[in-house]
Amino acid sequence: MTAPDRPRISLLGTSALLFEAPGTFDLPHQRRIWALAATASKWPDIREAIPGITNLMLTFETPPRELDALITALNESWDAAESLAIGGREIRLPVTYGGEVGSSLQSVADHCSLSIDDVVAIHAAPLYTVFALGSHPGYCYLGGMDPRITMPRRQTPLQRSAGGSVSIGGSQTGVSASPGPSGWHAIGHTSWTFFDPSWPTPAALAPGDTIRFEIKRVIR
Amino acid sequence: MPIEITDIARLARVLAKSGVDTIEIEEPGLTLKLVVDTGARIAASAKPAGTATPAADHSVVAKADVAGHFLAAHPWQDKPFVAPGQRVEAGAIVGLVRIGLLYAPVVAPAAGTIDAVIAETGTMVGYGTPIVRIRPHAANRPLN
Amino acid sequence: MIEILSVTGPASVQDLGRFDQYRFGVGTSGAMDDIALRAGNILLGNDENDAAVEIPMIPFKLRFGRDMAFALTGASVEAEIAGRAIPPWWRSHARAGDVLTIKAISRGARSYLAVGGGIDVPVVLGSRSTQLRGEFGGLHGRPLQPGDILPCAASTAAVGELGVEPADISLARPNAAADETIVRVVVAGEYDAFDAATQALFWSSHWKITPQSNRYGYRLQGPAVKPKAPVEKRSHGIVPGVIQIPPNGQPIIQMRDAQTSGGYPKIATVIRADLWRVGQARLGSKLRFEQTTYPDALAAEAEMSAYLDRLRTNVRLVEETRTCR
Repeated sequence: MTAPDRPRISLLGTSALLFEAPGTFDLPHQRRIWALAATASKWPDIREAIPGITNLMLTFETPPRELDALITALNESWDAAESLAIGGREIRLPVTYGGEVGSSLQSVADHCSLSIDDVVAIHAAPLYTVFALGSHPGYCYLGGMDPRITMPRRQTPLQRSAGGSVSIGGSQTGVSASPGPSGWHAIGHTSWTFFDPSWPTPAALAPGDTIRFEIKRVIR
Repeated sequence: MPIEITDIARLARVLAKSGVDTIEIEEPGLTLKLVVDTGARIAASAKPAGTATPAADHSVVAKADVAGHFLAAHPWQDKPFVAPGQRVEAGAIVGLVRIGLLYAPVVAPAAGTIDAVIAETGTMVGYGTPIVRIRPHAANRPLN
Repeated sequence: MIEILSVTGPASVQDLGRFDQYRFGVGTSGAMDDIALRAGNILLGNDENDAAVEIPMIPFKLRFGRDMAFALTGASVEAEIAGRAIPPWWRSHARAGDVLTIKAISRGARSYLAVGGGIDVPVVLGSRSTQLRGEFGGLHGRPLQPGDILPCAASTAAVGELGVEPADISLARPNAAADETIVRVVVAGEYDAFDAATQALFWSSHWKITPQSNRYGYRLQGPAVKPKAPVEKRSHGIVPGVIQIPPNGQPIIQMRDAQTSGGYPKIATVIRADLWRVGQARLGSKLRFEQTTYPDALAAEAEMSAYLDRLRTNVRLVEETRTCR
């Protein structure tokens, strides 16, 4: 279960189970996670199958008495999982880099030994794919960030970070959909509605959608 | 409405399921006591009585109206509901009777001053067991 | 309806929670002490998922707009209505205009006010619970303020006064000292990233619950518990009860308003049967972790269900007795 090329499966108490795929943080692995989520969400006693970043959380409607059958099913389904390509839509998000909200822009630049302009250019270059939703209502985890602007999460999470913050946490990036606590480093902000509970599907974006950041302004 | 045999059977089933060992029901001219666990012992047996019968000295007595264990204080609180000398309003809680997981209140039948807490915490009480003696305030003395 | 007259701290409307919206990033919310909420609803003959007011701080004061049955469960509070004291875990009847005052909390951290028929705020995404981060659910998606009017569903007939035994007594844990909460946990994914001495430190420490603890999470203070090497996880789903270890080595127990995902290493998860104990642990008090297994955690849930089953049948007995008369 812990061999480097095998998935890791661990318990989250009696409410849920976490499946972590082996291998790199990339789109091919994520597409297999989406396929596994589609399969596992149909299993009995599974409330939801929630993709993370190359991992999958299963929440239980009723906790299974025996976990062995579920673990076997997950491993077998992973081995059999074909890549599920979701053809999403592409959105463009204007971003103001730096400033009061993006106050960590300088520290990311310092940490990565880059100039502020380099960090902004590197961050705005890729077409990001929504890998997963999580953290808070409507928040999207994006895949495709250039590893040159990787920055470890905060030693102590912030109690409050602004809504619309564009942040980096480890080798990931994302945009917060509302204000709240965060362990990430905000480098900019955007104004866009990611979530509305009155919409038929409350989150604006879904796994497979893509985002392109547009540099609206850089505040030094 | 008289108690029917079917009511008794239904009550017995409810009792058996609920883990409550004793229940007493009073109707005019009739007291019904159901005991599921024969090991249970009742400190005072059922007697048909009003809840506010004045004694000869004009004091009134708050009585248990269900069978169970008497609690002078809530288990979470050190202080008993009432102590001698304390003034209470009619309807005030003067103690609890624990039946299974339920805490049924014992209430003051009239406003007055607490004379004595008669029942001891933890003892089994039954329907009509005197719990607290109250000296009613003159204006509020019950008329019956 | 009910009018909030005075409120301290973030009181909110909560039901059992919103359990099937994780895929949109929506966490569970819901009562921090779900047993207390269920007990209040059972006392009133409500659906156990009916919404109630979660009251974390005193003083708190409200006025009943019409006659209705209500129940007060959760923390042990000094509460009064129309001059009568309300014992803990108790149901009673309010008349229109009666004012309920909660003046002091002597044990526990959160009190629950349930009403006959439940607090009738709209159901949003399957629940009436307040989603503070998303600003929806509950009353306008926010904590309660003085002057707020809470709609109440059709009230049931007058009920007799009645109490039930608090869960804390029926489900008491052995060796629990006063002002210390012991909770059972199942180890989580990164437990083995900590060396044996650090693991031992995690189990033996008397963790202090810091004032930064709330519905999002309980931040603990004690000796630094750090993994053998820094761990940066890819973001993954987490649930209430998960104990994360941020780089400073001070554990955070995720609670009902926690984020739905995270990446800090997870050392263990508080079992569902004990999460309400965390919700009732007071700021500044101590907390200890006790290791348990998955089967034992399921057994603890069964024990919790058995208590609630007994509560249901006991309360029903009272109602059945009444209808027999």
